[in-house]
Parts: sequence; C-alpha cells; structure tokens
Amino acid sequence: MSSGLVLSLMFASLLLLLLSGMPLAFVLITLAVVFTVVLWGSDALVLSVLQTYDVMTSDVLLAIPLYVLMASVLQRSGIIDALYRAMELWFRRLPGGLAVGTVAICTVMAAMTGIVGAAVAAMGILALPSMLRRGYDEKLALGTICAGGTLGILIPPSIITIVYAATAQVSVGKMFAAGIVPGMVLAGLYMSYIVIRAMLNPDLAPRAASDEVSLMERLASLKSLILPTLIVFSVLGSIYTGIATPTEAAAVGVLGALVSAALQGTCTPANLGAAAMDTLRVTTMIMWITIGAKIFVSIFTGTGGADSLLSFIDNLEVNRWLVLLAMMSILVFLGLFLDEIGIILLCVPVFMPIIHAFGFDPIWFGVLFLITAQMAYITPPFGYTLFYIKGVLPEGIGMGTVYRAILPFLGLQISALVLFLLFPDLVTWLPDQLSQRLTH
Amino acid sequence: QENPEVSWRMQALWDAGTTPYEFEQKFVARVAELTDGKFTIRLFGGGQLVPSSGAFEAVRGGAFELMKTFDGYEAGAIPAFAFTSTVPFGFPESDQYEAWFYERGGLDMAREAYAQAGLFYIAPTVYGQEPIHATFPIHSLDDIKGKKGRFVGLSSAVMGAFGVSTTPLPTAEVYQALEKGVIDFADRGDLTANLEAGLDEVANYVIVPGFHQPTTATSYVANQRAYDRLPDAYKAALETAAREISVSLRQHIVAQDAVALEAFEERGVNVIHLEPEVITEGRREAVDAWRQAAGDNELAKRVLQSQVAFMQELGLLD
Amino acid sequence: MFILHGYCRAVTCLNHWLAVAASLLVFVMVGAIAYEVVARYFFDAPTVWALELSTLLLGPYFMLAGPHLLHTAGHVNVDILHSKLPARLAGWVDAVIYPLIAVICVIVIDQSIPVAMNALESRETSFSAWNPPVWPVKVLIPVAFLLLLLQALAETWGAIQRGLKSGPDAGTEALS
Ligand code: NA
Ligand code: NA
Repeated sequence: MSSGLVLSLMFASLLLLLLSGMPLAFVLITLAVVFTVVLWGSDALVLSVLQTYDVMTSDVLLAIPLYVLMASVLQRSGIIDALYRAMELWFRRLPGGLAVGTVAICTVMAAMTGIVGAAVAAMGILALPSMLRRGYDEKLALGTICAGGTLGILIPPSIITIVYAATAQVSVGKMFAAGIVPGMVLAGLYMSYIVIRAMLNPDLAPRAASDEVSLMERLASLKSLILPTLIVFSVLGSIYTGIATPTEAAAVGVLGALVSAALQGTCTPANLGAAAMDTLRVTTMIMWITIGAKIFVSIFTGTGGADSLLSFIDNLEVNRWLVLLAMMSILVFLGLFLDEIGIILLCVPVFMPIIHAFGFDPIWFGVLFLITAQMAYITPPFGYTLFYIKGVLPEGIGMGTVYRAILPFLGLQISALVLFLLFPDLVTWLPDQLSQRLTH
Repeated sequence: QENPEVSWRMQALWDAGTTPYEFEQKFVARVAELTDGKFTIRLFGGGQLVPSSGAFEAVRGGAFELMKTFDGYEAGAIPAFAFTSTVPFGFPESDQYEAWFYERGGLDMAREAYAQAGLFYIAPTVYGQEPIHATFPIHSLDDIKGKKGRFVGLSSAVMGAFGVSTTPLPTAEVYQALEKGVIDFADRGDLTANLEAGLDEVANYVIVPGFHQPTTATSYVANQRAYDRLPDAYKAALETAAREISVSLRQHIVAQDAVALEAFEERGVNVIHLEPEVITEGRREAVDAWRQAAGDNELAKRVLQSQVAFMQELGLLD
Repeated sequence: MFILHGYCRAVTCLNHWLAVAASLLVFVMVGAIAYEVVARYFFDAPTVWALELSTLLLGPYFMLAGPHLLHTAGHVNVDILHSKLPARLAGWVDAVIYPLIAVICVIVIDQSIPVAMNALESRETSFSAWNPPVWPVKVLIPVAFLLLLLQALAETWGAIQRGLKSGPDAGTEALS
C-alpha cells in the first residue's frame, strides 16, 4: 500500500473512531493494532507491549504525578483561591486581570517544568475553578490555560527542546537560551489578547465590585501571596541553584505545598486523600494517552506513514523559503495526530540536511519547530493538551467548548510563528550572546 | 539456484541523522550490494520503532528482523552482556577488544548468550573510548573519591567501588545537572556527540580516555528464525558488511575524536590525558567489581575468565 | 442476570480498591525523591535507590488505576457527538466500544505474557548500582490489562442495560 494511502486511512479512521466517543487512549491503541496486523504482520504487535513498558519506566514522565499533586494539594488547601482573591483585588482595574495573572502563573510554571501534561493539568486544577467561580467566560479561561500550559515547551527547562537538540545535534544550552525571548513574546501576546477581549466585552471577565475595597483590605490580601511565592522560590530556587533536577524539584514543590497546607490548617487526611485521588486520576489519564500515542507513532513510522511526505520534501527543488514553508506545513499537519517526540524522531533527521544545505540556522529552525509543537498540542481534534484539560473540567463542559476556546490562541501562535520567521534575530540574539560570553 | 528477494526491517542504535546512523546506512547499502540488490534492509533510527533498550524484545518477538544494539541493556537479564558491550577499565585498545571476539572465542560466547533468547549475534562493531566530562580536574583515581557522578550500568557499580556517589540520571538531564552542579562529572556519549550537545558550556574538563568506557562493542543481532531462512550467501553478506563497518566506524571515530578534542580546547575546555598507569592501577581494583557483576552465572563467569586471561596474556593484568 | 450483576459489582469494587491503594504510591515517590535531594545536597551522599525506586513505582501507579478510570469515564474522549445521542442509542454505541477495548486487552495480554515470562524466568534486574528486580514491572503489564479486560466486560453489560432500558432516567444508572 502506498504511503500516501496509509496516511489518509490512518487520519480518517482516527477521526471516525474519536467521534464515536471511544476514549482517546484506546482509539490510538486500537488503530495501531489494526494497522499493525493489516500492514506489518502480527509479530509486530509486541511493540505495543514494549512501548507500554517504556512509558511505565519513564524517568522523564515521573514529573507528572509530582506537579499534579503539588497543584491538587494547593487547590484543596484553599491557598490558590486566596491567591486569586488577592489578584482580584489588586488587578481590578486591569481588564481580564485574573486571566492575565493566570498567564503569568503559567509562565512561572513553564520555568519549572517542560512536561506539557504536568503544566496543563496542574494549571487546570489550580486556575480553572478560581476563574470560573468569578464568572469568567469558560472559553476564555480554558483557552488561557491550554495555551499558557504549552509555554513550557519554549521556556527552559524543556524535554522536547532537549530531544530536538539531541536529534539536530545542536547545543542544549543554546536551544534553551533561544526559547526564552519567543516564550516571553508568546506570553505577552496571550496577555494582550486577553486584555483587549476583556475591554471589548467586559462580560467575559467580570471585575470585582470596585471602590469599597479599602487599602488596608488590599494590603491584608497580600498575605495570601506569601505561601505560593515561597513554593515558587523553593521549586525554581532548587532548580537554578543546583539543589535538584527539574523532576526532583517537583517533589520539593509537593513538600512546600504540604507545609503550606499545614500552616493553613488544611493538611487533613481527608484533603490529602482527595488530592491523591485527583492526582491519580489525572496522571493515569495522561499516561494511558501517552502509551496510546507512543504505540501509534511507532506503527505509523514502521508502516511508512510519513514516507511520501518526507521524500516529497527531500526532492523539492524550489526557493528556500518555499521549502521552509513546506517543512513547517508538514510539521503542523503531523502535529494534528502525532506526539511531539515522535515527530522529532521522524522529521528532524530528514529536515536537518535540508536546513544545512539552504544555510538556515538550526537553532532558529528549532524555535520555529517548538512553536509548531505548541500549536500541535492545542490544534483540534487531536491536541493532547485539549484532552488533558478535559480530564480536569467541571461537569457540563464538553470537548466542543474546549475546541472553540482554543482557536483564538492558535491564531496568536501562528502570528508568533510568522513573526519569528520574519525576524530571526529575535530568536538568535540571546543564544549568540551566550556563545560570545562563553568564548571570551 | 536463484536466490530469493528478501526484505528486512532494522532499527539502528542511534538517532537518524547522527554519524553512527550514517554508518548503518552504509551497512544496509553494503548488504544490498553484496547480494545483487536482492537482500534489502529498511533502516529505522534509534527509538523510531521502539526505544533502543526495548529492541531486544522486539527482535526476539519478530517485530523486526535485525537490530543494532548495546548488549549492556539486557545485562540485568543475561549477565554475560555486561562484558560483551563495555567493561570499565577493560581493554584499553579497540583492536584488543575486537581480537578477543575473533581470536579468543568472544564471538562464540556472545552467540551462545543470544541463542538462549532466540536471537543470532552476527558480529560486533568495536570502537574506542567515550570521554568523561567534569567540573573539576581528574589526574588520578583519588581525585574522584567523594564526588558525585552520573554513570549507568556496570560502570556505576565500578565507580562506586572507587568512592564515587553515582546517580543514574537520564541522558537528557546530564547537561543541566552538570550546569547546575547537581553532579560533578558524567559520562554521556562520544566526544563528537558531546561537543554537539554543548557539554563544553557546562563542564570545564574533558578526561580521556574515559576509564568507565575505554572500549565499546555494539552488535548486529538478528531474529534467529528469520536468520535461519536466509540463503548462506546472505548470511555471509551480513557478516562481511558488519566486519567492514566495525573497522570503518572505528577509524572514523579515531579521526573525529581528534577534531572534537581540538574544538573542545578552542572553546576553552581543559583536556586531560590520563597517564596509562592510572588506568592500569584502576584495572587491578576493578577486577573485583567485575567478578561481582558476573555473580554465579556460568556463562558470565566464563566470558569474564576468558577476558581476564587474554588481558594477562597482553600484559594488561598481572 | 444475578450472576452478571454480581460479577460487575465485584470487578468494579476490586478495581476501585486497587486504585485507592495505588493513589498512595505517589507519597512514596515524593518521600523518596525528597530524601534523595536532602541526602545529596546537604550530606553529599546521593542514594543509589531513590530515583530508581520512584521510577519503578510510576508504572504500577497508573497501570493499576487504568481499569478504575474506565468505570468512572476518566479516560477522556471526544464527546461532541456522543453527548448529543439519546441515552439508549448512546448505550448501544458504548456496547460496541467496550467490547472493542476488551479485544485490545486480549491482544495485549497475549503479546505481553511472553515478555513477562522471559523477564520472570531470568529474574531480570535493572543492572544499575542498586540493581533492583524489574521483572515485576513487566509481569504487571498482562495483569493490568487483564483487570482492564474484566472491567471492560463489566462496562459492556452496563452499556447493554442502558441500551435496553426505556424511560427518562435511562443511562444515568451507574454500577458502584
Ligand atoms: Na519549561
Ligand atoms: Na495536535
């Protein structure tokens, strides 16, 4: 069977099965099994077991339950709601202040972890209930968290960045440095968008009743900042002073959350048990999807699903910018249904020689790649972030709402992609500074 | 009689696009050439079908027919593999290690080890050392006592015996862990790969040869059933191509190491060449850790015995 | 009927308690890693076991909870169409989906038993400095998928009942 046909069949059947309402994890495994038997041979079914084992023993994904537990403990202990109350009091003149504050918290979270599942699930647990309770539009709140949660891909530390650097054979440090400015630009774009939307339609983001809040009351509310700030400092501090690796820092964060809850008097066995069950539920959902995704990607690769796309690029003899555009389109398209690490392993080795041949900077291309990865995480219908967030949604909000919520933020990501395409200096300036500092 | 068309899948050990992967491309091209284009092997990069450490079970189950692997991944199940992949303080010259395979029965013992899993060991690819990257100078083995290091497998046990606190960080975290001082020194990949990953930015010292991995053997391993179905000419083609790749990759690395070391020095990194006596002294002490790793496994003990005997023959051990 | 109903309750209950037990493992992971950080940074004595132990617990942690999540609809799906279906039709759609999941389970169990047996027979260890056994993690794969299979069959029965049932509150009944 031709690779183009395989590609279309996989894409179509994925859509169809998903619409049936089957859980995503099992949709992916089912399709992988069917395509293995039909196109490869039943001997290859063992790959499903080996991918499962790999996810089960992944030292990288270990960060997920830790960050989710930290978030659950904080949420259940009331600390986060106090934080949002303070933001509400202080930001009440800023349209969409809570959502802007959420993007800021996402940015801090991004500096702690590069595991998208961990960040999105944690932020969904932390920020979503607080925003909804204050009457924020559910679509605005959801879009903010989904888009904000993917910032961790660009802002170091980031596993996807490390995998890209290893495959493209560029310096991890420079790739990390290259992601900082674009990450901040994206966060800025999200914030501006929220402010503008809230100004145009104040119903989307109701503000706290004004005037009658005294300065004393506002100052008193600052007390609620102390505990979250201490936790942020303990996590970021332990990463950046070399006390702990990013994964270990998550455990430090859990301890911080537990201590904070204890200080609030909310570290009860009931709260702990509930937080543990929340954590288990969210982690299990993410990990089973990861298993499905990994099995699916390996079968997709083994049966040559992307061969025609990749050889098309290889043989393209046109203007370098058109080739670049074609490569970005392929990345976005594959991102519709593959996971990012799989795309890196599949595409980067094919793209790198082309990148070098046309004289593009692989670090700059890496940042473009990471932005398309962020897009892939939130593009319907298979954006993994959308599924993660759905796992922590309150009753009554369906996938359709999530899909609609994400579209404007997808638009913002696309404009960021175009911006960095047109102005490569925004990306390369910081890593260049770094290498100059290192050589002198 | 006309030989049939055969088409196999193979997963390489390294990511597509890396230098060792290019040599696997040469390997499959050579096999095709030796069989008049009738034996074609479709090559996948490391991790593309299954994580490299899972390739063993995948080939055993017949998902694909051939893999390039690092025997050490399975040493926890088949202890002999600790010695057919890389031995800390082991053979200092790749020629010596390869000679053990071809002149002292190593090949047969490796085949015996794989046969129990329904796999056929075709041939090793033997090459030289991998470096150590450190944030402090190392001139003798006393210098590493009490330091924190990232090592995996047998070398973590051996380093432990020299007073190192080892921690098995994932490869992806090595850069950051060195940068932030979570660890003081680490093994990661070969000189060129580490240069490309920018380890010069986070560790000021490169120590060669890396005593934790003075020589390395990776292996071409096939599913036994699939292998048995091959015409003799194809089997011979696999072996011939494998042996050619072993030589050419090794020589490529020798040349490339020199380039990489110079690049490290240009970037302000101190390259420390350890005195041979340091390694010799370490080898004497490491023998105990080797014996412990072999445990009471009959084949592992036999493999180790044969390596020790050859090392004595070569004057590497008393 | 009675036997089927009892089966569903028993399986659901078993998987529920396994999930509750698994949920506590996260505290072990936190404790082990926190111990590692303190031991390494303050006492310069990293452990050989803490990170590896946490990693080894990760698999059991979420694998054992997978079947319970199938019962609580915790595995996320796209509900755009499904949520608009009438309750009985939705029941019949589920009565196709759950058996499909059961088939997948059978296939994975069949594939994972040899892998698990190989690991068990060689008493496979991780071959690290700590060198703990890893065969239990491999053995867990068929076990977890067996539990998932049992739960999928129970859910199938529940879905069929929802499909057969008439009345306004059809489809809201859950077994628990
Ligand atoms: Na990050
Ligand atoms: Na996507």
